[in-house]
Amino acid sequence: MWIEVGHFAALTAFVLALTQTGAGVLGGILARPAWVRVGRQAALMVALLLTVASLGLIMSFLQHDFSVRYVAEHASLKLPVFYLATAMWGGHEGSLLLWVWFLAVFSAVAVWRHWSTHPLSMPWLLGLLGAVMVGFLLLVLFLSSPFERLFPAPADGRDLNPMLQDPGMVFHPPFLYLGYVGFSVPYAFAMAALLNGRSGTEWILAMRRWTLFAWAMLTTGIVLGAYWAYYVLGWGGYWAWDPVENASFMPWLTATAFLHSVMVQERRDMFRTWNLFLIITTFSLSLLGTFLVRSGVLSSVHAFANDPGRGVFILIFMAVVLLFSFGVLVFRADHLRSGTPRLDTILCKESAFLFNNMFFMVAALTVLLGTLYPLAMETLAGTKVTVGAPYFNKVFVPIMLGTLALMGMGLVIPWRRATAAALGRMFRWPLLLALLAILPVWLVGVRHPYGIIGASLVVFVLATHTQDLYRGVAARRQRDGRAWPTVLWHLVIRNQRRYGGLVTHLGVLLMVAGFIGSGLFQQERDLVMRPGDVMHMGPWQLTFASMGRAARHNWQANEAVIQADKGRESLTLLPQKRIYDGSSQPMSEAAIHSTWREDLYVVLGDQVADGAWAFRVYLNPLVMWIWWGACVIALGVGLSMLQGRRLRRKQGA
Amino acid sequence: MNRKSKRIMLLATVIMVGGALLSLLYTSFTDSLVYFHTPTEIRQKSADFAGRKVRVGGMIQNGSLVRKTGTLEVSFTLTDGHGDVPVHYNGVLPDLFREGQGAVVEGVWRHDLPHFEAATVLAKHSEDYVPVSMTKEGLEKAQSSILKSVQ
Repeated sequence: MWIEVGHFAALTAFVLALTQTGAGVLGGILARPAWVRVGRQAALMVALLLTVASLGLIMSFLQHDFSVRYVAEHASLKLPVFYLATAMWGGHEGSLLLWVWFLAVFSAVAVWRHWSTHPLSMPWLLGLLGAVMVGFLLLVLFLSSPFERLFPAPADGRDLNPMLQDPGMVFHPPFLYLGYVGFSVPYAFAMAALLNGRSGTEWILAMRRWTLFAWAMLTTGIVLGAYWAYYVLGWGGYWAWDPVENASFMPWLTATAFLHSVMVQERRDMFRTWNLFLIITTFSLSLLGTFLVRSGVLSSVHAFANDPGRGVFILIFMAVVLLFSFGVLVFRADHLRSGTPRLDTILCKESAFLFNNMFFMVAALTVLLGTLYPLAMETLAGTKVTVGAPYFNKVFVPIMLGTLALMGMGLVIPWRRATAAALGRMFRWPLLLALLAILPVWLVGVRHPYGIIGASLVVFVLATHTQDLYRGVAARRQRDGRAWPTVLWHLVIRNQRRYGGLVTHLGVLLMVAGFIGSGLFQQERDLVMRPGDVMHMGPWQLTFASMGRAARHNWQANEAVIQADKGRESLTLLPQKRIYDGSSQPMSEAAIHSTWREDLYVVLGDQVADGAWAFRVYLNPLVMWIWWGACVIALGVGLSMLQGRRLRRKQGA
Repeated sequence: MNRKSKRIMLLATVIMVGGALLSLLYTSFTDSLVYFHTPTEIRQKSADFAGRKVRVGGMIQNGSLVRKTGTLEVSFTLTDGHGDVPVHYNGVLPDLFREGQGAVVEGVWRHDLPHFEAATVLAKHSEDYVPVSMTKEGLEKAQSSILKSVQ
């Protein structure tokens, strides 16, 4: 029953999305405010209806309605309730519905929040978001419908892919989608600005929070994916440069570039066209990401479907969006030129941002090339090639180091122009500390040049950021004469945007430390052990005590009992090899002992002889710093987002 | 320095940094392309691939998986229906590795050896998650789709 309600709601939403698009655009062009208002009501209704549609699908899952093909394919009677509800985005069809649901909710929120503040953009906003929605709904309703029936209905479903039965994987797609879809609002505003020929600072100010929000969600989604890969896939790593990971990484890179360069437009009214280009690119890459993963062109863990009709539709959809967006950008670019100040010296914040953007763009280009080249080769030349992790690592490490150096300089360097003397004052201590840091790093045993440079740069950035904070506090203390905690509190609260950014940088530093540690110093060993055997891994002594069985919900497992000792510390690790009911794929469940210093990571392999089992053991230093770094980033973005618009404050004062 | 020469310096720096980045991208890219071949191709043009890093994809032939008891050494045969390549590997096999499934092995091809020495073994997922209780027909379809995707 629920599925009919959902299906009907989605169909109605499709019609209303068409109305929203038409009424919005025509109302705007013909100057009929009443039509635009119709568009608004339609947008709100679409959000409501798609909520009903999505809930309808979820309800069908909860009721084990296997007469729905999608439910039968992605759930079973034994599936725990939690995974039952989240199986909605366990496959291709449902996750597209999730995408368009988010889009509808975001456009409703955008219409509601910005209706009175951005009346000029509204018609275009309604039209563009509505059009994207129509495109997605066409796909959801007619090409890959989650509402399709199965007759006769099977008694039990196929169950959810065991790999997706993990909290990390449950939250990974929605967060990614919140990010992808979140960029659609800034995109629509950017396009509206272009189409109206008014692309001053107005749209930028309105969009700051949206972009920050989307960026934070995307970051969270990517990190959750990495976390899942680390805990569930049992290969000891968190990032493999898989095309699907790359698909979400590309918009992240361009969005990061945008978040930085947009500040230049806000403060100095420069980079106007560039910023529009960046946000359009980001949204296009978000679409590309969704489609790459969901169209089945990539054979990967995440690629679910393989259907030529759908592929063609997706290609056409992408082509329309790209041609329209970049076409408008090209034809309207002349509206953007104003008395833009020119950039004519290297030593200023503007040029730091310029180089920052350059690094991020080359990074995005790197990923794009590595992801699409194999596809292009296969289609055009018929040869299969892969570009593996070595390529990405080779390009990315220098880019990461360059970005770190810029991060240290960019924060403190003044706008417009910096004198050599001022630079000396600013960078004397940080540079000294960065050089001094090399010694302890060397003593700890780091010999790889990248490791040494990386660690030294981390110290450099930390020093510039601390110095910046210290100077702010010192200057205010001199003026107000209050105790430093009070001063620090006031300083941060009054400049949440700036210090939010600072905290975000701190999170990035933590992550970089994690990347360096786990990337350069991972230890790995494959070996065979019989009960009673002992092995050594770094400071740990591992004893294979015994082999047992474990079972829960819908799986059974072979479970090894491993006694791990280090000095006085002693703990038990239980790596498993699970077999899910109704599946023949075994799933390794790694046993991981995490500390701030390192992770001890044990994977159980196959039985290689009577009583002898294969094991793979890793020692991954500093992995936890990556997860903590992500949390700090979230904190920083949150802090940044809480503060309202700069312009309005200025006007009010 | 006057305004103009500063501008030129800025431009020069931009071009230099940009050029360096792009050349880094280009060289790394051309260095690390790994070509992907079927067992038949390996058999036919054996000498051409000698000493090169290649990926070979195919199905793991039923009954070909042999494990040296008590060690991590395994050997198996990859086939695409026409040609086959014996593979030797020492290490923990991925979860999805099973006879009759698709797999990709990567290593340096030395045609003087009687077998392919794999440095990495990747098990291929089929596009759809197929549980055991599926019909035989469905399994065959899944297998053929894997074969198609590796060919």
